[in-house]
Amino acid sequence: MQRPVSSFSLSPGVKVKLASAGFRVTADLLHLSPPQLSREAGLSQQEALEVLQAVRSDGGGGASMSALELLQKEGELKSIVTFSSHLDAALGGGVPVGKSTEICGTPGVGKTQLCLQLVVDVQVPQCFGGVEGQAIYIDTEGSFLLQRVVDVAAAAVRHCSLLVEDEEQRVAMTTFTVETILSNIFLVRCHDYVELLAELHLLPDFLTGHPKARLLVIDSVALPFRRFEDLSQRTRVLYGLAQQLAAIATRHLVAVVLTNQMTTRLRGNQSQLVPALGESWGHAPTIRLLLQWSGSQRLATVFKSPSHADATIQYQITSDGFRDSDQSACSQPGTSC
Amino acid sequence: MVLLRDGMCPGLDEGLVRGLRAADIKTVEDLVSSDMEELAQRCSVSYKALFAIRRVLLAQHAAFPVSGADLYEELLSSTAILSTGNPSLDKLLDSGLYTGEITELSGGPGSGKSQVCFGVAVHISHQLKQNVIYVDTTGGLTAGRLLQMLQAETSNAEEQMEALQRIRVFRLFDVFSLLDCLYGLCGGGLQRASVGGGSVKAVIVDSVSAVIAPLLGGKQNEGMSLMSQVAGVLKTMAKDFNVAALVTNHVTRSGGGGGEVQPGLGASWSHIPRTRVLLEKGGDVRRPGLRSATLIKSSRRPLLIKEEFDLKWWSRSKEEGGGAAAAASGKRKRDETDS
Repeated sequence: MQRPVSSFSLSPGVKVKLASAGFRVTADLLHLSPPQLSREAGLSQQEALEVLQAVRSDGGGGASMSALELLQKEGELKSIVTFSSHLDAALGGGVPVGKSTEICGTPGVGKTQLCLQLVVDVQVPQCFGGVEGQAIYIDTEGSFLLQRVVDVAAAAVRHCSLLVEDEEQRVAMTTFTVETILSNIFLVRCHDYVELLAELHLLPDFLTGHPKARLLVIDSVALPFRRFEDLSQRTRVLYGLAQQLAAIATRHLVAVVLTNQMTTRLRGNQSQLVPALGESWGHAPTIRLLLQWSGSQRLATVFKSPSHADATIQYQITSDGFRDSDQSACSQPGTSC
Repeated sequence: MVLLRDGMCPGLDEGLVRGLRAADIKTVEDLVSSDMEELAQRCSVSYKALFAIRRVLLAQHAAFPVSGADLYEELLSSTAILSTGNPSLDKLLDSGLYTGEITELSGGPGSGKSQVCFGVAVHISHQLKQNVIYVDTTGGLTAGRLLQMLQAETSNAEEQMEALQRIRVFRLFDVFSLLDCLYGLCGGGLQRASVGGGSVKAVIVDSVSAVIAPLLGGKQNEGMSLMSQVAGVLKTMAKDFNVAALVTNHVTRSGGGGGEVQPGLGASWSHIPRTRVLLEKGGDVRRPGLRSATLIKSSRRPLLIKEEFDLKWWSRSKEEGGGAAAAASGKRKRDETDS
């Protein structure tokens, strides 16, 4: 099939010059050399070279794999446990690596607490069933409290040291301390959406240089976008952001965790509390969690997931972090963290 | 819009092409629509030679009419109808997905578009034993879920693995990669992907709006052109290679938050799929897997007919699905153990 030249990722100026010189499909270009093309279309040598490289590249759309190979690859990926066994069960093992998860909730319900818990949990050594990866925390709200992270990290270290059964785990515990946990968290502070977008553009290079990174937390993704004047531009930017995050999660094997705020939707006389950033943003994350209050009890609901049915569980926030409710932190040997 | 090149037809050599270029004749259209006598004089070439070249070019590039009866015969012999595996959805789509056409599924977040795509892929690869190409642009494809659905259809592990091998997955996140992929499939990729005796019968793109929506609107002018190109290559692929194209789309709410839902990508995209289905969550909290599908565009069935189905029991219709089934194809509830 004839492929038009305009379907390639070239700059608009180059495309206009090619079109006015009469080159519409790739067949017109293939037999030319760069000097010939630059002469006929009025392009610079560099532009002509880029055009011919783009057109001649094999471009089968990148790597494809069969579903069986994908299944084997997925089997190698672990999930990040949340230290709340009910939530882990509802999510099918924990927050999955390679997918994007969104946590919505009203202020104070525990979204940042869950993020801080995950930032510590991603570093749990593999011999304890963890992912043993580094974490990147993009903070747009200014809610990252170092002392709280130290408390959660200390509790996690205490928990794991109670579970030590063999030599391998004992050795692993020497590298799993509060200091090493803190040194494996990369904190970025973004003040508005421009800084956030810039950070995400730079992130792929950073992740290539840090292959052990397994978690990216953006807390919160809603705040920089709440003050946008032009709603249609906001929707476009959010779509682009969603695709970037999906690409980062899949290509670099990173669990992307986003927190979102709640807003009121008015329909006739009724108002309803819904996640912010609009209907279109709901398509972006693969898994969505809603944290809410029911009286004095905190509930977490999984309301979008590709492989698990909707479920609601109870949880609580203790001085040790995010835990199951009406139950002290699990201290039986052999149970997963 | 075909450029004149030497060697295109006998008599058209490099010198003549250059001469024509100098006379401002660059494409085949320019040549056949210009005055032969004047051109012969300007390029100092014989009138007879130019006329012969013109006749050959017309024969090469003209489209020939085909009679309706021939078209009908061809359609009857080449079109296949692929069942989606869900009886309610098949009823809505007039027995299933038609090859040679694009079918669109739209719905809000969590309405089940990806789940329906998984169900269709699993059914075609396992029951119909044909190959499927699955293009995932959102990152929502989990092979574990495909395996779950297969395990509900058969307990034979070898059959499950074979069915999984017939599904080929592409994961890409922007429109240029999508175009590369689709053109690559047209240019031989479909033949290469036909493993195990079957041929590729379905191409599923989930979702097409995720890659196109960031480009529409605002000051960018490339968005519409890229959308038309994606549409063009999908349609050509569906027609030329006899595959059924299934795409998913998001929805937008008109009236800024309080109005009706309608499929995204605007009015220009609405002409492209032949059949469009809108998925919604059923309102029943006791049956969280319930979904309703409404037909919003079809050339074969009356509009706005609705069917309900349960995502938990993909192969069974709503009436049968009420009873508790031990081997449910449904999503695992949280108290079942992980396999």
